[in-house]
Amino acid sequence: MFAIPAKWRRKGAASEEEAYYTAGQFALIRARFMKKTSGLIAGTILLALVLMGLFAPFFSPVDPTIRGADAEYRRGAPQALNFCDENGCSLRPFSYTYSKEKPKFDLSALAGGDLNALDQLTSSGALSASSQNKFIEDREQRRYLQFFVRGWEYSLLEIGWLGIDIRSDLHLFGVEQGKLHLMGTDEDGKDVFSRTLHAVWVTISIAIVALIVKLFTSLLVGGVSGYFGGRVDAVLMSFTEAVRVIPPIPIYLACAVALSQIDLTPVQRYFAIALVIGALDFATLGRRLRTHILVERNQDYVLAAQLSGASTGRIIWRHLVPSFSSYIIVDTLINFPYVILAETSLSFLGLGLTEPVNSLGVLLQKAQDPDIQQNMVWQFFPVVVFVALIMAFVFVGDALRDAADPYSERNQ
Amino acid sequence: MRLEQKPRMPLLEINDLTVDFNTPEGQIRAVDHLNLHIEPGEVMGLVGESGSGKSITAKTIMRLNPGNAMIQRQSRIQLHRDPSVDVLKLRGKDLRVVRGGEVSMIFQEPMASFAPAIRIGDQIVETIRLHLGHDKQTARKIGIELFERVGIREPEKRFDQYVFELSGGMRQRAMIAMALATKPKLLIADEPTTALDVTIQAQVLDLMMELREQLGMAILFITHDLGVISKVADRLTVMKRGRMVEEGHAQAVLHAPMHDYTRKLLDALPHLNNLPQPPAHKPEPLLSVRNLSISYPQSGRRKAEAFNAVPDVSLDLPKGQIIGLVGESGSGKTSLGKALLGAAPISAGEVVYHVDSPIRLDGKSRINRRKFARVAQLVFQDPYSSLNPRMTVRDIIAEPLEAMKICSSREEVDQRVIEVAKRCHLEVSHLRRFPHAFSGGQRQRISIARALVSDPQFLVADEAVAALDVSIQAEILTLLRELRDELGLTILFISHDLSVVANLCDHICVMQHGKLVEQGSVRQIFLDAQEEYTRRLISAIPVIEAPRREPVIA
Amino acid sequence: MIDFLANTWLLWILLITGAVLWLAARNSDYFHYVLHRYLMALGTLLLVSFVVFGLMEVLPGDCAEKYIAYKNTQGEMISQATIDAERARMGLDQPMLQRWASWVTDLTLRGDLGFSCAKRQSVNLAVGDRFWMSLGFCLAGLLLAYLIAVPFGILSAYVLNKPWMDCDPQSSPRERFTNTLLLGFNKLIDLQLRIISYLGLALPNFLLALSIILLYVFAGEPTPTGLFSDEWRNVPWFSDSGFQFGKLSDFLGHIWLPIFVIGWAATALQLQTVRALVVDESNKLYVEAARARGVEGFSLWARYPVRHSISPLFNSVGFDFQRVFNDLPIVAVVIGLTDAAGLLIEALAMTNDQELAAAILFLVALVVIGMNLLTDVVLAAVDPRVRRSVISGGQ
Repeated sequence: MFAIPAKWRRKGAASEEEAYYTAGQFALIRARFMKKTSGLIAGTILLALVLMGLFAPFFSPVDPTIRGADAEYRRGAPQALNFCDENGCSLRPFSYTYSKEKPKFDLSALAGGDLNALDQLTSSGALSASSQNKFIEDREQRRYLQFFVRGWEYSLLEIGWLGIDIRSDLHLFGVEQGKLHLMGTDEDGKDVFSRTLHAVWVTISIAIVALIVKLFTSLLVGGVSGYFGGRVDAVLMSFTEAVRVIPPIPIYLACAVALSQIDLTPVQRYFAIALVIGALDFATLGRRLRTHILVERNQDYVLAAQLSGASTGRIIWRHLVPSFSSYIIVDTLINFPYVILAETSLSFLGLGLTEPVNSLGVLLQKAQDPDIQQNMVWQFFPVVVFVALIMAFVFVGDALRDAADPYSERNQ
Repeated sequence: MRLEQKPRMPLLEINDLTVDFNTPEGQIRAVDHLNLHIEPGEVMGLVGESGSGKSITAKTIMRLNPGNAMIQRQSRIQLHRDPSVDVLKLRGKDLRVVRGGEVSMIFQEPMASFAPAIRIGDQIVETIRLHLGHDKQTARKIGIELFERVGIREPEKRFDQYVFELSGGMRQRAMIAMALATKPKLLIADEPTTALDVTIQAQVLDLMMELREQLGMAILFITHDLGVISKVADRLTVMKRGRMVEEGHAQAVLHAPMHDYTRKLLDALPHLNNLPQPPAHKPEPLLSVRNLSISYPQSGRRKAEAFNAVPDVSLDLPKGQIIGLVGESGSGKTSLGKALLGAAPISAGEVVYHVDSPIRLDGKSRINRRKFARVAQLVFQDPYSSLNPRMTVRDIIAEPLEAMKICSSREEVDQRVIEVAKRCHLEVSHLRRFPHAFSGGQRQRISIARALVSDPQFLVADEAVAALDVSIQAEILTLLRELRDELGLTILFISHDLSVVANLCDHICVMQHGKLVEQGSVRQIFLDAQEEYTRRLISAIPVIEAPRREPVIA
Repeated sequence: MIDFLANTWLLWILLITGAVLWLAARNSDYFHYVLHRYLMALGTLLLVSFVVFGLMEVLPGDCAEKYIAYKNTQGEMISQATIDAERARMGLDQPMLQRWASWVTDLTLRGDLGFSCAKRQSVNLAVGDRFWMSLGFCLAGLLLAYLIAVPFGILSAYVLNKPWMDCDPQSSPRERFTNTLLLGFNKLIDLQLRIISYLGLALPNFLLALSIILLYVFAGEPTPTGLFSDEWRNVPWFSDSGFQFGKLSDFLGHIWLPIFVIGWAATALQLQTVRALVVDESNKLYVEAARARGVEGFSLWARYPVRHSISPLFNSVGFDFQRVFNDLPIVAVVIGLTDAAGLLIEALAMTNDQELAAAILFLVALVVIGMNLLTDVVLAAVDPRVRRSVISGGQ
């Protein structure tokens, strides 16, 4: 009875074995990564977050900019999706129509000089900005959740210099009339959920730009230093050492202050900040690359390539670069959270990106506001997303590092 | 004395030992129903190639297996003392009986087996105090006496040094001293001499035998080297893939092996009684070395002075022969080999290749690598680090062709690669694989194939078989011989192991401290050595003595 | 003479240290190494001062403008010509290299860090005690991180390659059960700690500080921001009735917050470092050899892998300090600290006080370099592995 499955298994094992033998470095890393449950879960969450960030307009029901602000629903609480209420159940989830609470005072009375009315006005909180707006939900008027609805228009793909601009107005979900605020709105009526989704991608893209710049500078410093050695190495390394001992965030700050003097558009500013974060963070990776090159340079296979008549360029390109490419990729992933943290720290101090740009740092900055702390707790939603994003990155990076470790196989 | 001592009670009995390893690829059986017993005071030789499960058996006796090792339920290891103990059932502090108490172990690498930041003496004192309960002073005294006994000069001074301050032989002696500190009944020696030079190996073996006589302990001697085992063992157990294939008295097993595998191992050994005849006439030299000296610039030292590895060597390498270059570690043989390929800094003298357009290496002018790569190539010692792990075998072998742009098309490259791969007995279907899929021997074939693909006339094989098992060694040596005969290659075979060289080479050069001590044909060197050093080297080789010619029962 | 010495005291100290080391180095390899490291540290400091000084050039405004602006508030009308004259008087019209050289000279001669235009006082005075306070925060945070990270990192390394369940066929069912329980317990602790340590990474410390403050707000308690509550802020430590213990307890009630916040983030990293180091060491052959000699349990772990991973851990103290200080400014903003880090933020983000910012950055770098020098020198004296690698030229 067990004979057949055993046979299958052997057959499967044989082809698996062959796959293992013909697998390159990256395929091996992937295979080892697949065995780590925590890494896989984190990877799935990460992928979901990144995709949702990348296609944020499609996933967000409301335009996150001031254009999409809901003037009728400022400082509004999250609108829950229900399946059932006292009017019966529905398979399609729904929320309600909200309307602003009518002022309880009589303006005519106020005009008439009624002091009681004035008292009422003050105590009702309508004048105090810090109090929570009261909304009445109209339970009779359901707003049913619709999928693949047409809504505000956005550009799906825009490449400025090619003149390509694919626009769309399709959204994953929305409601028929009015707007759906899953996570409430902020003081301008901008949808927190949509803002957060957009912010995720902005932050990640800053990190990507910063990491690419960082990679470039690190490769330059480490590569030049490691390959040429001698005096060049000594000079570059002492400079790196000097940069390494200075705490980076104050340096970013100084650069950000300098940037704030220059008149920049938000987009330029965005790139400038990514550039600063990336360009100044070469010390650690650069040093490691240098050590790596120094070690690899003396490996037998490099000598073998030299004796085979390979030129210096060929040795670097065919032998040295592939030898640390997996390392670089893993290191880059591990560094993602730190770069994101740097961006948020800057924005948090008001020196990075600023409103109305959506970045996680900008949204996090609001957490400092006592008004929000006390009256609009839902604006802490970006914090949750942020923590989830970083945790996912850290777990994935950790699992990848274990998977990419060439010794993990020999140690068994 | 409640139990009467039976005359033939073995010291250690292993019954039906089965060890599995849990790996992500499933369970792997490392030791398969092994039965073994060791008598008090005897030397049991445990022989096998890598992966035969011999080290795991030893570790199981000491209960040092890693966490993923599963010792199956029916396995029994009995240590017969008073009273007998079931080793596999020991828990907690009781484990000390087999860990240093009655059983202790010598490892292959003494350098790595001493903690680097703790004085050797302190580690020995710790062991003595743990097992014998002496106070510090007494333990120290015992330790220093032991150091004296294992032949360490200035024992007081050495006792307080760190492991890296001792030479290789001293380290192994210190390791032995530490293992003997608790007066064990059984000493497990896991490849104790493999990392040592021949002359030191002979000394250490003598010491171990002497100590065995004095202390009356049994030794479980684990090695892959049948030559070494023939010197020391009373009985032998041969293992293959976790199973015992043959067991018996050492003489019987070595001279009348019953099992094919044992016979194969024995055949792979060199025999000094059938040395090759020297060729009838001495061929033209392929390359000449004139007053060559090699020195490495030292960086980071206080007094920057160059390290002179080879002071002054002159040598002619005859065409179409395999030339053996032997010497102990630090004799400069690898430097010389690399200098012939222009990969070591030549500070004076020159190397001249007598090819169509003679090539001259003198350390000053730049070498035209492209031209030179088609004349001379290198086969590396370490088959792991010499192959780029990120390239397929096909790409590795094709590298010289592609780097020098010898072939005009990809098809031509493929054709040439396949041709060479077949020549080196590599399967063509394996060319798509990455190096990590291959064993040491196959990797060395790949390395040879890469060296051959550009059709050179001269090959330097730097300790090319040192990292390989005996039977695989023999295969590679056969391949080298084929290449000499069929392609007319000249091969410089660098080795620390005289026994390997004996049956392979036509001509042998002996080096010591960077100087060429002696050279001549194999017969001249082995049968009629002129120099004291050469004679010492040869007498230190552990070869199986010529068997007493007794009729072998079939 | 006294004046001259008073004006050049720092230089003399540096020179005398160098000379003593040089004398000692003539017949000792160890002191040769120390001298070498000392000179390298001085060189790095010089480079750092250049980098910091260069960086501050990018900040907008200069001393003259600030001075003039200050005058402006006094109601004087200032023309461009006056600004230029003022610049010339302050030496700001000279090229940067020259100003840097004079800054460094003042610094090496008598430890003078310059003059802060925004604060209108000497930088030494402005930074003064606050720097020591920051140093105290960082060291306390670091200590906290080590106290948590070292034992739990070791635990984490200890359970790393252990299975969740004991299924050794040689054990009796009861042994298997107890072992499984024990393993499971250890593994769970490890898992929790790893998640907490990752949270330490994922929750930036300003958010952590904010959330703690929020908790206080919700609980209706006074928030522990700053260093003292209003009640004690202006009470001197020693008053007529002797030492003020009330002030001390108030101080302790505030000080834990910054230390905890920066300590937590550092713990996350340290935990991983310790774990990696100990795992590395415990896979080495000498640990197995020690086990084969009968050393086991606590004494095995303490004497072998742990002892051998202390040096590399100790070696990184300097950079750990740098990392902790890196986080301090933002925490200082959130908690409302007025230490050097808070001052740094103020100087950078608000007053554009180049001199002050440069001085603080330089001081931090000085501490890091000093720590690196110290750890290197101590390790070379204590750890034979390090001594061998640095003194015998890597042989």
